[in-house]
Amino acid sequence: MPLLEIREMSKTFPGTRALDHVDLDIAAGEVHALVGQNGSGKSTLIKVLAGFHEPDPGTLVRVDGEEVELADPAASRAAGFRFVHQDLALVDDLSVVENLALGRGFQTGAMGRIRWRDERRAAQEMLDSLGFDFDVRKPLGTLAAAERTGVAIARAMWNWEDGARILVLDEPTATLPMAEVETLFRTVRRVRERGLGVIYVSHRLDEVFSIGDRISILRDGRKVGTYKTADLDEDKLIALMVGEAVTRVAGAKAAPGGATVLAVEGLCGTVLCDLSFEAKAGQVLGFAGLTGSGREELLPLIFGAGERLGTVAVDGRKVKAARPESAIAAGIALIPSDRLHQGGVFDMSVTQNLTLTDPGRLTGPAKEIRRGRERSEVRDWIGRLDVRPSNPDLPLAALSGGNQQKIVIAKWLRMSPRVLLLDEPTQGVDVGAKAMIHALVREAAAAGAAVVVASGDDEEICDICDQVYVLRDGAIVGELTQEQMSIDEVGRMQLVGRGNGHAPVA
Amino acid sequence: MEIKSRRKVEDASAAPAGAASGNANATLPASSGRHEVPLARRILAGLGPRRISAVYLFILFVVVFSLINPNTFLTSATFRLVFSEGVVTCLLALAFLIPLAANAYDLSIGNLMALSLGLCVWLNLHTGLPASVAAILAILACTATGAFSGFVIVKLRVNSFIATLGTSQILLALVLLLSGNSQLIAEFPDSYKKLGIDQVAGIPIVVFYLLGVSILLWFVLEHTPIGRYLFATGGNEQAARLTGVRTDRVVWGSLIASGAICGLAGVVYSMRTGIFSATTGPGYLFPAVAAVFLGASQFQQRPNVWGTLIAYFALAFGIQGLALSSTSGAVWSQPLFEGVALIVAVSLASRPIVARLREARADKDLDAIEADPGPAKAPAGSG
Repeated sequence: MPLLEIREMSKTFPGTRALDHVDLDIAAGEVHALVGQNGSGKSTLIKVLAGFHEPDPGTLVRVDGEEVELADPAASRAAGFRFVHQDLALVDDLSVVENLALGRGFQTGAMGRIRWRDERRAAQEMLDSLGFDFDVRKPLGTLAAAERTGVAIARAMWNWEDGARILVLDEPTATLPMAEVETLFRTVRRVRERGLGVIYVSHRLDEVFSIGDRISILRDGRKVGTYKTADLDEDKLIALMVGEAVTRVAGAKAAPGGATVLAVEGLCGTVLCDLSFEAKAGQVLGFAGLTGSGREELLPLIFGAGERLGTVAVDGRKVKAARPESAIAAGIALIPSDRLHQGGVFDMSVTQNLTLTDPGRLTGPAKEIRRGRERSEVRDWIGRLDVRPSNPDLPLAALSGGNQQKIVIAKWLRMSPRVLLLDEPTQGVDVGAKAMIHALVREAAAAGAAVVVASGDDEEICDICDQVYVLRDGAIVGELTQEQMSIDEVGRMQLVGRGNGHAPVA
Repeated sequence: MEIKSRRKVEDASAAPAGAASGNANATLPASSGRHEVPLARRILAGLGPRRISAVYLFILFVVVFSLINPNTFLTSATFRLVFSEGVVTCLLALAFLIPLAANAYDLSIGNLMALSLGLCVWLNLHTGLPASVAAILAILACTATGAFSGFVIVKLRVNSFIATLGTSQILLALVLLLSGNSQLIAEFPDSYKKLGIDQVAGIPIVVFYLLGVSILLWFVLEHTPIGRYLFATGGNEQAARLTGVRTDRVVWGSLIASGAICGLAGVVYSMRTGIFSATTGPGYLFPAVAAVFLGASQFQQRPNVWGTLIAYFALAFGIQGLALSSTSGAVWSQPLFEGVALIVAVSLASRPIVARLREARADKDLDAIEADPGPAKAPAGSG
């Protein structure tokens, strides 16, 4: 009897069926890899197991043959599920012992005093058993990345005799340097030896092959199959993940090819290494790549949000790093992926957010902002982009994600940028806003801007780009022209193991 | 220490709350065209106690204390006293307000004022410099001190709270040095003193200084790009920086301006009394800060000039009324008032934040479930 049985698991969101009658068995003492492209339903499945999404009626989940109801996170925990997420939810400033106690509480003695000695000993034993030997009194921030992941696993597994049955590791290596992956694997094997079932979610196929006992593949919300690792090779697995090679016919798009506007040379970041490319006027250039491929840091580096190595030039003139204002003066605009923290000032009004890029152009003789002019400009944008509600005095926070994003884009479009950088431009926006944003992107290119889009959404990349570069492990590993472009091809190029040569720098 | 906790999203009446999700269009048939709230409703909303509670407080105090003290409270002498006494504190409050708009705290305002006052008095007693030159030097010294605080915050990356707390103690040392730990009384020329105690059209002249600074500051904060940059920096520094706002300069500049106004406050103080002791400064910090925070709950739900002044004078009249009503002078009433008012003001202003969070949670995208602090956490998006 399998440890975990999932039968007919479905999950329907308005408009989409994220999971479609998925069956899955996990055995005790097994590392079961779960793979699939973006949007294949892996996340949803995990969220259902964690008790964050209620599955559709008819779904059956059994642990040790007993049916469990996953109504909320507490129920999930009681059923024996433990989770370690990509964001480990640990506190760098606290010691390892304190981190382990987060969410669990301390053992206390007389008068509520924490029994530090017992806590320390227990923590040390726990981490020893997972194969670590660092001092648990150290602040978490001083540990290596794999050790931090180890602490997160230890915390999830605390008191494993106390009902932990299934450990779910969600992209545990996405932020891990390659050299430390083996350390993590050792820990995972120790957990497996304890007789737990491990669900290992990863984009990285080489990892899946080295740690997984069996592999289940999801595609478009359905399970494609479960295979013994020995029965698969990388090519077969990719074929299963990508499915039938349906080549998308690209829509009518403007032919690229103006003058070179943006030239990037030798760009290096944390993951990106020696990246060079050019973007031409009137072109929409896409960057695809998995999380951790360097896709996330590319556009902020070009914009110069922080320090960087390498040069960025617009129309032949170099742009300084770490100086957003000089990037803006050179004609670069960045729509950041993290809208909440970087996109806008949410307590300020729609109007004030929109004109913040250059309020100086609205001023009169006493340097005062002329409200009438400001208002009419903002009304124009609101009308053009169909922002709802249309009240320009509302705080930005009162708008939906899609409408907020329209404002963030509008504040840059009003600058008529030479180079428009869009990072995950439609993350968390509704379908209508997505179409609008895509149209705006095409429009900006048609007006002569060089547009660069970085997105984890391969469909989006194929829909709006004239040319695509695929990133893996910090380097460009492929280039697709409009004719070669298909969701499957873009997805396939992102997947094939770790790139050769360009090892990520820890 | 979080400035944002005092800010508030517009009343739900003005902001269709359901507008925050993908199906907003369906729920908002009425506002599909231009968004216009009826004038009457806007005026009513503008007069609500949540927006101008200090004005009502002000009126309440005047009415109550006029009834209790019919002969003493409602006199021009009382008004002149409260207004002229309040100028120094109000100037300091405005000095506190500028960096606060950019989410930086200047806790050195009290001792900055004392430094300015001390320099004016000391230079008068120990040098032959004209009082006006001494006053200018005092203001320059305070401006330079503000620049120093700004340097510590922006370049050394010290939290503004800590940086200005440190600056404040250093200033106290300077002030103690100047005073020799005793009370100094300057011998200013009459022409200088007149600038502190004269009246114009029955109104104390110092009130005009305050009015001048207030109007200038209101104009800069509410009507110029500089004001936008300040509030954007305070609202979301990272987003402001990525939009091209030079946030470091903004913060630095705000502390320099704060220092200059504190210097001016010290000069005004010297014109009014000419008495200086080392204990003068610290007592001014709290009333000024309380006025700004109470004022930030007025009108726009963010630090603003007129809210600050109204908040200050509402409290000041309350204190004056209590003092007149009690035979012992009721010195205790001032800190009591300020303490209660500060807590009430900030709690009033932060309640909408809770409502906003709740609303935001309800509207969260399916993928944006927040991590539970407990062991069972929400999966980060991967699939």
